[in-house]
Amino acid sequence: MIKKWMRVFLFLTPVALLWVLPGVAQAQIQEIRIADSKGDWGFPNPFRHYPRGPGYIRMSWVFDTLVWKDQKGYVPALADSWSYDPANMAFTFNLNPKARWHDLQPLTAQDVVFTVKYFKKHPYAWITVDDVSRAEAPEPHTVVIYLSKPYSPFISDIGGTMPILPKHIWESVDDPEGYNDPKAFIGSGPYRFIDFNKAQGTYLYEAFRQYYQGSPKADRLIYVRSGQPLVSLSNRQVDLANIQPEMAEPLKKRGLVVIQDERGWNKKLMINHKKAPFSDKRFRHALALAIDRQEIIDKSHRGFAMPASYGLLSVDHEMYNPYTPSYPFNPEKARALIESMGYHKGADGVYEKDGQALKVQLLASNITVAGQSMADRDGEVIKRQLEQVGIRVDLVNLEQATTDSRVKNWSFDLAVSGHGGICGDPRILNEMISSKYGAGSVNSARYDDDAELNRLIDEQMLEMDQDKRKALVYKIQEVYAEDLPAISLYYPDSMAAYNPDKGIAWYYTRGGISKGIPIPQNKMSLIEKRGK
Amino acid sequence: MKGRLKRTRRAQYILAYVLAGLVMMYASYSLPRWLPGDFVTAMYSSSHVTLNAEQERGLKAYYTQRQGFGRYLTDFFTLHWGYSYAFLTPISELISEALPWTLLLLGTAHLLSMIFGFLAGVEAAWHRGGVIEKLGVGSMTVAEGIPEIGTGVLLLLLFALHLGWLPAAGGETAYGNHAAGPWILDVARHLALPLATLVLAYLPGNFLLARGSMVMVLKEQFIETARAKGLPSLRIRYAHAARNALLPMVTRFGLRIAFMVTGALVVETIYAYPGLGTLLFNAIAMRDLPLIQGIVLFSSLMVLFINLALEFVYGWIDPRVKHAS
Repeated sequence: MIKKWMRVFLFLTPVALLWVLPGVAQAQIQEIRIADSKGDWGFPNPFRHYPRGPGYIRMSWVFDTLVWKDQKGYVPALADSWSYDPANMAFTFNLNPKARWHDLQPLTAQDVVFTVKYFKKHPYAWITVDDVSRAEAPEPHTVVIYLSKPYSPFISDIGGTMPILPKHIWESVDDPEGYNDPKAFIGSGPYRFIDFNKAQGTYLYEAFRQYYQGSPKADRLIYVRSGQPLVSLSNRQVDLANIQPEMAEPLKKRGLVVIQDERGWNKKLMINHKKAPFSDKRFRHALALAIDRQEIIDKSHRGFAMPASYGLLSVDHEMYNPYTPSYPFNPEKARALIESMGYHKGADGVYEKDGQALKVQLLASNITVAGQSMADRDGEVIKRQLEQVGIRVDLVNLEQATTDSRVKNWSFDLAVSGHGGICGDPRILNEMISSKYGAGSVNSARYDDDAELNRLIDEQMLEMDQDKRKALVYKIQEVYAEDLPAISLYYPDSMAAYNPDKGIAWYYTRGGISKGIPIPQNKMSLIEKRGK
Repeated sequence: MKGRLKRTRRAQYILAYVLAGLVMMYASYSLPRWLPGDFVTAMYSSSHVTLNAEQERGLKAYYTQRQGFGRYLTDFFTLHWGYSYAFLTPISELISEALPWTLLLLGTAHLLSMIFGFLAGVEAAWHRGGVIEKLGVGSMTVAEGIPEIGTGVLLLLLFALHLGWLPAAGGETAYGNHAAGPWILDVARHLALPLATLVLAYLPGNFLLARGSMVMVLKEQFIETARAKGLPSLRIRYAHAARNALLPMVTRFGLRIAFMVTGALVVETIYAYPGLGTLLFNAIAMRDLPLIQGIVLFSSLMVLFINLALEFVYGWIDPRVKHAS
């Protein structure tokens, strides 16, 4: 009798499990844990987060923008729809009437109007509202933003990056950086900010159930600091983290899903083009020809990277110019160019001119994609390659802030550096080329010597027609790669891994989140979209 | 007459500490300013925000300290330690959040390694020439040469990655909502690996020091006397000999604790353990000048305070010190 019951039980258990399991998969997730090695990225509001990708991402859970991006491109956020009127140079946004602030006050066009005014008075470094003349709210959920002159990156930089602030809270705040009240974290995003533990580098967010786009899939979202995110991922302490490409296979074997980003971050060689011999374009060309980028990738990154376009914009960018000039490894040609500048080989094989050996200093750098750092090996390879051509190289390894400071003050010859944003809006070209746009950046070439280049980059900011802008951007890449004020070296493979058991499919955003952040923590991954 | 002399000596003594304190305060005020680079450049260097010249000027003006040393001293004594540039939070709050974790990790590591190192050293010296002593000295000399980073990574790979018994990072499960009992257990589990790494790093030195001091003490005549009196071996070992070998151990303990800010930096980094070392490391990387000054000052004053405390402890442990002074 007992045996019979056992048989029935054994038969029914799998059946019952099959019936219950789909329900489990759909059930509300209790919490999601995300790790990174640094931990603290400032308080998650526009005035207090660190001006780097992970800081913006932590803020983006709390504050929504007018539009957003997913893996395909722009999608509605606070604005259901938008249009541009070229005659009046005005963008009209129709806001989602269901949008609420975390204190349940309705979000209206007045909040957007206020935000524009507020950022004009208290600038938010991520956006420029200088070219916005005014914003108006003709209807409670319609806002019109007028430009004083055409501004082509508007949708990317303002529509998709500007966090909308609640007027009823910020209108009485005169010192936004010093405003340290729980109300400073009331936004309209899918998660409410609960805590930031500065010593532990941890953040806690709770789902905002009234979120207008749908209920967040996880009740709690937690960021933790982990010295070894890989180990934390492996033993399921965390659900999502960036990983080194070498670890992709072992992690896949442990049941984790590995995702790879498009090529949105480049390592580049900064050149002090203000001093001789670097001020001579022939010498910069010689440097490019003397550097075997594939060798750097193979020796320094075990093959986990791809040579970059000399035109700066990523090869994955929709405006990438495939006809950009390139400098395939050719040491003979490099030597010929150096000799054309009056140099001749000395007894020790090093070039000389007027009795002076051709000696350069190369600053190494530990920075890599997504705000992480790794021990530099590129410097060693580049040093050897340049020395083989006949340039003596003094390789200097300094702490990052010191290197940055020297580059910033033009107190360097060559420096290995890197930055992202090259898959985002082509405005990045202006910032990384010209001192007019990127004077404050240590990654910008700050190169203003070419009048044509200066004209082109100004024009692309004013061109609202995408096709015409594309033609300008094509030309910029060509001229930049010909002038070569800095040399883009390679795109390191950028990967993340996540635990699929939670039922969340994380992804890298097309062109990067906001202005090109290459981190797969898009808030849309955690939203169960409501039908309209 | 005797009392006046004593008072004068005490005043001189205190004056020396006050002067040393002022010198340290000046050093912590001025040294971080000599660091190349500044907060704005460091913060925005690999940023998605590209500053134009005007924005950069504005930010640099906002984040530049023009405070003189006099004002710095006044602010220090009125407990206005300023705000961190990066966190926009009072420095005292940041230090007080990180300090308990550092104390927990380093205090426990030093205490355990001192107690066990001392006991093992005393026993080894007592059994000098035996196999266990020889093995102990040999293995501890080798262990003394293994850096924390090596032990740390090995323990992490074995217990966190391979066996999955212990957590890989943090001081506790973030937002675990534990009750008091399970919370203590959780903190202990997170403490286990960094603590073991530090104990393994500190224990050999303590063992070798205790053994060396003990070997010297055991050659003293008063030990011979104690033996001749027929005192029990345990009493000779600990009450007579070990007590005299304790002084260098206490000095070592004090010095190590004084360096607690930087002492566990490597281990804190490997295990992402919250503490003053990590806080200082990040502050330097970001050129967060007020925070660097705050932590440097705090730790240098700690060195002074521990030195002062050691003076009393010496007198208590070894009355000869008190009589000599």
